[in-house]
Formats: sequence, structure tokens, C-alpha cells
Amino acid sequence: MLTRLTLYLAYSFKTSTRYQIIKTFFYDLLENPHSRLKSGFDVFMIVLVISSVFSLIYEVQNEVGIWAVYFEHFVVFIFISEYLLRAWLYSDIHNLIIKHYENSEYLGIPFRLHKVFTLIISSKLSYIFSPSAIIDILAILPGYRPLRILRIFLIFRLFKLLRYSQSTQMFIGVLSSKRFELTTLAFLMGFLIFIASTAIYMFENQNMGGQITDLYDAFYWAVVTISTVGYGDITPATTGGRLVTTALIISGLGVLAFFTSIIVAAFNEKMSEFQDERLQVRIEKCTNSTILCGFGRVGQEIAQQLYATKLNFVVIDQNEQHIALAQKKGYIALHDDATKNTVLEQAGINHGANTILCTTGDDVTNVYITLTSRYLNPDINIISRANREDNVKKLYQAGANYIVQPFTAAGLLAVEYIGQPVAFEAIHGILHDNKDVQIEALTISKNCFLDGISLKEANFDQYKARLMGIVSANPIHAKRRNRYKLRNQHFYFNPDPKFVLHEGDILVLFGRQLSVDHLQDLIETSRLRRKTRWTTN
Amino acid sequence: MDNELIAIFGYNSMSFELIAQLIEKQNPLVILDDDPIKIEQAEQKNLPTQLLDYRQDNDLISLGIGSEVKTLFCFLEHDSENVFLTLSARALDKQLNIISIVNDPDAAEKLLAAGANKIIDPYEICSNKVYQLLTKPSITWILDQAVFGRADLHMAEITIPVHSVLDQTLTSQLSLNKRYNLFLVGVVDKELGDKLYFSLGEQDHTLDVGDILVILGANRDIRKFKKEIGVFE
Repeated sequence: MLTRLTLYLAYSFKTSTRYQIIKTFFYDLLENPHSRLKSGFDVFMIVLVISSVFSLIYEVQNEVGIWAVYFEHFVVFIFISEYLLRAWLYSDIHNLIIKHYENSEYLGIPFRLHKVFTLIISSKLSYIFSPSAIIDILAILPGYRPLRILRIFLIFRLFKLLRYSQSTQMFIGVLSSKRFELTTLAFLMGFLIFIASTAIYMFENQNMGGQITDLYDAFYWAVVTISTVGYGDITPATTGGRLVTTALIISGLGVLAFFTSIIVAAFNEKMSEFQDERLQVRIEKCTNSTILCGFGRVGQEIAQQLYATKLNFVVIDQNEQHIALAQKKGYIALHDDATKNTVLEQAGINHGANTILCTTGDDVTNVYITLTSRYLNPDINIISRANREDNVKKLYQAGANYIVQPFTAAGLLAVEYIGQPVAFEAIHGILHDNKDVQIEALTISKNCFLDGISLKEANFDQYKARLMGIVSANPIHAKRRNRYKLRNQHFYFNPDPKFVLHEGDILVLFGRQLSVDHLQDLIETSRLRRKTRWTTN
Repeated sequence: MDNELIAIFGYNSMSFELIAQLIEKQNPLVILDDDPIKIEQAEQKNLPTQLLDYRQDNDLISLGIGSEVKTLFCFLEHDSENVFLTLSARALDKQLNIISIVNDPDAAEKLLAAGANKIIDPYEICSNKVYQLLTKPSITWILDQAVFGRADLHMAEITIPVHSVLDQTLTSQLSLNKRYNLFLVGVVDKELGDKLYFSLGEQDHTLDVGDILVILGANRDIRKFKKEIGVFE
């Protein structure tokens, strides 16, 4: 009967979505290193720990009001809840039961409830005895007033901070990586202290006219001396004692140097690893990002523009100088080979990135990166550079969406200069965006003031922006003149004044950045205003 | 200007497109390089070529710089070579049109100081285009068409001829879009110098003979417009 009830409960927990949602929420709050909730909670806990410790320190010599007692209760309550929640999250009881039940069904052996309970208890015990859980419980104990002696454990509340801070975890990681060297050093130090304290006890005991009364004094003196602190409260009086002191001071210097060098070396070794980890975290936080393969002339210019408009991007390049330059400018940069699957995955091709730019000077590399990216993510937008006309077709075959040819563009521009030097000037100006005259695209959003209005009424001249044409996929415009095919939509050049604008149409405007920005602001605000008016009605 | 010789220095991936376009437009040209292998490659394609060392002033003079050559394209691979060539050619001919390619943005000023009329930075154009593709993909095609006239849309410049109906007209009265289905990009008002004023509705210009209009439109509309205002081709 009990067995059946247990199994019923286990299965209903497993299938309950509400239970799963609650558990996921607490997992995000307490354990999930990538969740924003956890970083917020960590900050809250750090503040709580520090303020509780301060309040308890203040209590030592001062009278405190009832608020301090309430605060202490609140802190202990939070700590206990956190401890219990972590214990709950540590392992899934229902999964253990179900797994054990299914295993015994499969093997044809009887299902024993007490075996499962042993498993559950052992899994929860392993939580209770984990170092961080011990620290947690020690932080809770001083809250129990009758056990005033436990006040000493107050300091353990500070240890709790370790849980919430990455840099302390990093420090512990560094120390544990040098476990062998540190153990050796500890042995050496123990040995030295033992010899030194025995020797000083022999030479400097009170019978010999020294200040050492017992072995504890000798030990205390040895530690003070070996660490080169040397308070001077106990000083050797005999020649033997002085010889021991000299020897200990010299070896103490050696031990300290050894200790420092171990720590420094460990940090050096681990530093690149930490930097990689931090970089990875930064990449994972990027959404709608662009992966920029190749940080040469073209790559650098693009990066500069992307950075100026605050768009996310990740640079990949094999050249050390290029990467150093990218890092100096504060870009996210990976020093690796962009043709490797792992590198592109690390850069976020399957999470966060929506465009790949292949801008290396080598067409072979560009084709290879294009092919790799298309294989890894069939939906990603790939823009590639082709240095030779012959390779354009290959890049399209490899899966590029758009191709840019720097030398072709330059050639076409140069030719323009022969017959039409003034038109060249205009093109040059527009292409370079440097006179702040440019061709810009603005999308008509739903309910904005231009939606459903004819061009005559819209009268763009009043905004000092001139309408060159309209890009639209809307079949409603299909009968208009001057229609040019443009992938899956059409470009209507110089539309007549009766042309009525619809949601989703893209205005192609010619004007100064200022005018276009102003118009965009008007579109946005009118859309929002009308939306709020509708909702209030 | 169409019948004057164009000299292109450098036969490489940067100049291929330029050469192809010029041949298409039947401009008389000569391709020069100091590398015999490249010259041989060009000859195989039946291109007018000549092996020439740009470092020798005498060679440049014998080529026709200072006489027949009116336009010089410096498409050599290194900025330093282009600067040297520009400097030499400018010393020989003050009127020569020199257009140079630039690799490093720092070299742009040096080339201008050496006497180049125009400089073209392919990498900058390329990166601007990639950026446009990223941020406003819908207009990249339009720019391609408008700027390079690869389809029917084309950018053209028209000089106001003598006795034209447009003489003494204000730019605001032109209404090119209504009357001729053309888009006015800009105007060079000779009274104010050779500067191109983009037509943004900020400033009105009175057109005189010799002023230049830069327009965008379909080829047939451009032809029709030229005919009506009295431009003879």
C-alpha cells in the first residue's frame, strides 16, 4: 500500500508541470550560473550577510533595539529557506524512486521501499556534508540565542560570501590546482617549525636562562619567526638560541619565497583560462550578433561601424596582431581559425548569432567559412567578400546570401569618373556616408501617422527628406509604374502622388541623417500614441 | 574626352573590372605593368598592353603622358608605387586626370598631396556595403542599381547646353519627378564653383548654361529628358 502511494506520488510529481515550473524557478534563482535571477539573488545575499555581520558586531558593545532582533530573525529565516531549497534542488527524489522502480521491473526483482529510502537519504546526506552546505549551516547556528558559544561561528557567515562571488571561487580554483606543491610546502614548513621549536625549547627554556616556559611558547615563537613577523616578545638570550633563530629566519625567507612563487605561477597558468571563460560568458550574453571572420582592413572598418551603432559582434582571426588590435579596441575577439566548426560554435553560430561575415582577403578561406557556416546553421545570413569575379559563383554555391566585391565596386566607380565626373562625386558622397547625405530606409509601422496616407498628403519635402522610391512586397501596389524586381519584393521608383502607403512598406529616402532620424522619431511616437489612445478607449 | 587615351597602371584583380568596363564602353586604353608575366596574361586576352617601368620618366613620356594620355589610373598593388607614379605623372602634366586606388587609409592624404585628383578606397567601399547589407538590406540593391547602373536605373550627369529651355530656371521649378519621371540627385552651380550641391530642398539654384544636373532614372527617361532640353549626343 505504502509502496503504491509512494510510486503514485513520484509519478504525479514527474508529470506535474506546475511542480517543474516551480523547481526551474528556484534552480534559476539559486544554482543556474547563466540566469540573471541568480546574479540578482547573489547580490542580495551578499548585502544580507555583510549587514547581518555588522549588526552582530555592533551588538557586542552597544545596546540595540527590537529592530535588530527582527532583522536577525529575518536573516536566519532567509538562510534556513535557502539551505532547505538547496537541499531540495540537490537531487530529485521522485526521479530516484521512479528510476529504481523501473530498474527493478526490468530486472524482475521485487521493489523494496527501504532500499530507495536509503538511496534518497544518502543523496541528501552527501548534500549536507558538502563543504558549502556545512558553511551554510554554520552561518545559521549563531542565530540560536541559547547557544552563545556559537557566536564564534559568526565568521562563517562571511565564508558564505564565497558562494556568491566568482573571484573567490577563482582563487580557490587556483589553490586547488597547486595542491601538490602546497602540500609539499606545508610539510616542509611543519618540519621546520617542529625542529625550530624543539631546538629553541632546549636552548631557551627557563632552566637555561631563556624566556620559553613550555612547548607552546616554543611553537608560537617558531611561527612568529618563520613568517618573518618577529614580534620580539620572546627573544633568544643564549648563543644556541640565536643560532637557531638565524637559521630559522633564513629558511623562513626561503619558505615565503617558495609560497609566493607557487601562487604567482598558478595564477599565470590559469589566467588565460579565466580570460577564455570570461570571453565565453560575454559571447553567450550576445543576442542578434554578427560573427566577423577576418579582421583585416575590411573587417576593421566594419567592426568600427558596428561598434559605433552598438551592435553585438564577435571577431575571429588567426593573426595575433589583428586580435591584439581588436582587444585593444574593446571588441570581443577570438584568436582562432574560423574554418573550424568548434570555433564558429564557440562564437555563437547556433545561439545568438544571426549573420556571418567572411571578410578575409583570401577567397579560398571565405568559401570554406561560408560552407562550414551553412552546414552548421542552414538559416543563418551569410555575407561574403569575393576578391575575384570567378569566385562569386562558388561562394553562392557554398551558401552565401550576399556577396560583396571590393575591387569590382572600385572598378565601377573609377569608370564612372571617365564619362561623368560629377555623378562620380555624387556616388562617392553617398557611398561614403561622409557628408551625412545618404540613402536611408524607413519602414512604415502599423498605426503610424503615415499608414494609409497618400504620398501627396504625406509631403516628405516638409521634412527636408526626398523620397526616391518605395520597397514593398504588398500586392496592392502591383499595378503601379516604375516597378523593379527586388528578390521577393518590388522597388517602386519615383512613385506618383496617389501612391498610398501601407504597413510594411519601406520608404527609400534621400536626405541628411538629421531629417531621416526626425522622420523616424515621428513614425515611432505616432505609432505609440495611437496605440495608447486605442487601449485607453 | 571619349577619344582620349586612358592609361591603366597595374594588371591585377583590382583593375580587372575597370578594364572590362572601359572596353565595354569602347574607350581607347592601354594597360601597363612592369611584370612580363602579367603583360603576357593580358595579351592572351587581346588587351592593348605594354611592358613599362613606371619608375622611368622617359618611359612615361614616350607612353604619352604630357601629350595624348588624358587620364591615368594608378592601380598598382602598393600604395608607395601609386604615390611614386602619381608624383612622376603630375610633374610631367599639370592637367592630367589622375585616379588612384588606396590600400591604407593613411596613404590617402599622401596620394592627394602627390597630385592625384581622386582616390578610391576599395576596402572602405566594401566595408560600407557590408554594413549596409547588415543594417538596411532592402536598399543595398537600390544603391547598387542607382550607383552603378547595372540594371535599367542609372545615374547620369547632364550639362545645360546653350539655348536650353532650362536656362534661368530655378531648381525648385524643375519638377523632374513629375514631368520626366527622374530623380534629381544634385546640382553643380557654376556661379558657386565646382561643388556638387545635393538636392535636399535646402537651397534653390538658378540654372545657367554650363551648370550640371545629376539625375537618376531609367535610361529611356534620361534620353527623353536630354532631347527635350536640347542636349545632342
